[in-house]
Amino acid sequence: MIFAFAVAPVVLITLLIGLRGVAAMRTTSDFLVASRRVSPLLNSAAVSGEYLSAASFLGVAGLVVKDGIGSLWYPVGFTAGYIAMLVLVAAPMRRSGALTVPDFAEARLASPALRRVAAVVILVIGGLYLVPQFRTAGLVLSAVSGTEYWVGVVIAGAGVAITLALGGMRAATYVQAFQFVLKVVLFIVPAVWLLVVVGPAVRDEAVHPVTFTHFDHDTPVNFRVGVTLDVAEPTTVLTDGQPLTLAPGPWQVGAGTAVTFLDGTRVPVVRGQPLPGGPGWQRPLLDLQHAGYPLLGTWALLVSLMLGTMGLPHVLMRFHTSPDGRAARRTAALTVGLLSLFYLFPAVYGVLGRVLVPHLYLSGATDTAVVALPAQVDSGMPGSLFTGLLTAGAFAAFLATSLGLVLVVSGAISYDLLPGGLGALRVAVFGAATTVVLLALMAIRLDAGVLVTWGFTVAASTFCPLLVLGIWWSRLTVAGAMSGVLAGLLGSAGAIAATLFGPPLHGWLAILIAQPAPWTVPLAFLTMIAVSLRGRPPAWAQAAMLRLHLNEDRPVARRVDFGRDPGHSTRSSRRSSAVRRMTGRLVR
Amino acid sequence: MPAGKRVAVMSPQTRHAHSRRRLRGRFRVPKLDPADEGRALTLYHAQRRRAAAPLVLMFAGMFGLPLVFAVFPGLDHARLAGIPLSWIVIVLLPYPGLVILARWHLRRAERIEDDQ
Repeated sequence: MIFAFAVAPVVLITLLIGLRGVAAMRTTSDFLVASRRVSPLLNSAAVSGEYLSAASFLGVAGLVVKDGIGSLWYPVGFTAGYIAMLVLVAAPMRRSGALTVPDFAEARLASPALRRVAAVVILVIGGLYLVPQFRTAGLVLSAVSGTEYWVGVVIAGAGVAITLALGGMRAATYVQAFQFVLKVVLFIVPAVWLLVVVGPAVRDEAVHPVTFTHFDHDTPVNFRVGVTLDVAEPTTVLTDGQPLTLAPGPWQVGAGTAVTFLDGTRVPVVRGQPLPGGPGWQRPLLDLQHAGYPLLGTWALLVSLMLGTMGLPHVLMRFHTSPDGRAARRTAALTVGLLSLFYLFPAVYGVLGRVLVPHLYLSGATDTAVVALPAQVDSGMPGSLFTGLLTAGAFAAFLATSLGLVLVVSGAISYDLLPGGLGALRVAVFGAATTVVLLALMAIRLDAGVLVTWGFTVAASTFCPLLVLGIWWSRLTVAGAMSGVLAGLLGSAGAIAATLFGPPLHGWLAILIAQPAPWTVPLAFLTMIAVSLRGRPPAWAQAAMLRLHLNEDRPVARRVDFGRDPGHSTRSSRRSSAVRRMTGRLVR
Repeated sequence: MPAGKRVAVMSPQTRHAHSRRRLRGRFRVPKLDPADEGRALTLYHAQRRRAAAPLVLMFAGMFGLPLVFAVFPGLDHARLAGIPLSWIVIVLLPYPGLVILARWHLRRAERIEDDQ
């Protein structure tokens, strides 16, 4: 019911705008020429639309419920990344004519091998970013409509793959800009409604956090995955309607159990997770891994987010729809403003969620806090309406990001890694979607915000040094770039694997392994510089770098230009470029 | 029309695929017109010089604010309109700061290009 009411309209309107956009595009000779007329404001709405993923729409509020006010550093870092993008990357990247980082590697350093390594990095970042999107789609659908988790994940995967195969990325700019407006409205209006409806008592509780120690009403909790709870005192609960008295000690809850905790009983503790609202909860610092070093944890997170944004493949692709480098720079600057508007509101859902739905902490489903809130406040028609609106917004967030990422990932597979044939892209889309669905089915325990942040970390340790040094340092060599990217990739991916599969760590070491950006980013930069200094860049390296800084928007009569409009950047129409080839194919 | 030259007729899609495969791997050495080179060098140095300030400001702000929170835990207990002061600061301070920083740097970067 909620699905038909909330999700179907989003998908339908997205498809309609896409088709309408195609009709407009067909009147011009070339899809890409038309898209080059996109104004900075429209384009920055599209960038924001693509950027605001399920991690922003649901994940931040969920992390606030679970870990505390310090989680509000996530959106600050997400926004600050665009300052680094604006200052260092936006205009030169647009002027390089490269759509993706593999393209950039080939345009700046002329190395097919580096192109393939960059494509592998895109697969890693895309995987880390896509899995939480699919997972959240599964969680949200199961939370609002009671279906199994895997149903939502499979529906999401099928939706993305079919939309892309039908050419859903056509007129992508209009679709993404629409999605941004949709997401902002569907996020802000329910937030204001919630603040008004909850009443003064809840508002007062929200700003005076207390530890969630006792249930204040009969609370049903659905455990979708098994978990070990520590019960402190004999507690009576209802499992599947039958009363069950728990002895103090660990209690293994099986996957798929529905438990109702009774009013006034004591809340059990999840292993390794402090109760929401505890002493550290209201601190505006993020105690990563509960290691006891909140300042270090916050800084490590910010390094990753601020430097990782410039390497996100789906965001870089969007900058290419700007007419020139100058418009790309304006797009980055306007995006800071648009994101700032959106990110004022996750805090509202977070602090209200801690009061109204703290029990989501038990089942590890805090990511659904946003969509669970309206039903807690109003059990009638308005509650259902706002649940529907928020579900629609969450689905829009999931869809916008996933479409762009699946396209970039499939492009990397079918063009940069394998010799691309005509059907390869469509096969790659289905292959990528299937792989992500399988990974998402296994990743139900991992929070969206955490996984997405790891995507930023890998981007910051690989693409950030490659782009920054490639754009601003003419002495960069292929060997240097290659060893730097590999060092960053191995360091960050190894640390993430150690966090997922390794033994539990404590203290500052736990932070530097769970969020390795503070050492992997310098490691990648230093490796790149040291290896480059030992080699010699080719004679044309200076020219390859300088042309990225030439403002092409001033037409120069003597410039050698083979019949192309001077508004476009140098030689991009002849550069091979995965996504242009793909969009060209999908449009035809 | 000169005779003898035979052209294969194929769908644009096929042509696209073929040309893609042939273009792949061929690299043209980037060249800059001497006049452009001088201008590009000036622009590069000017932009590089002006890139430092906004980055330093951003990192100082982003690392400084958590430090302030860590050094002055009293901000959590001070309240403005009933809301802890540190909560207000973390939500309402960074975003306007970032917007102003973006606007300021955009102006400077564009002015360099206008002058050239």
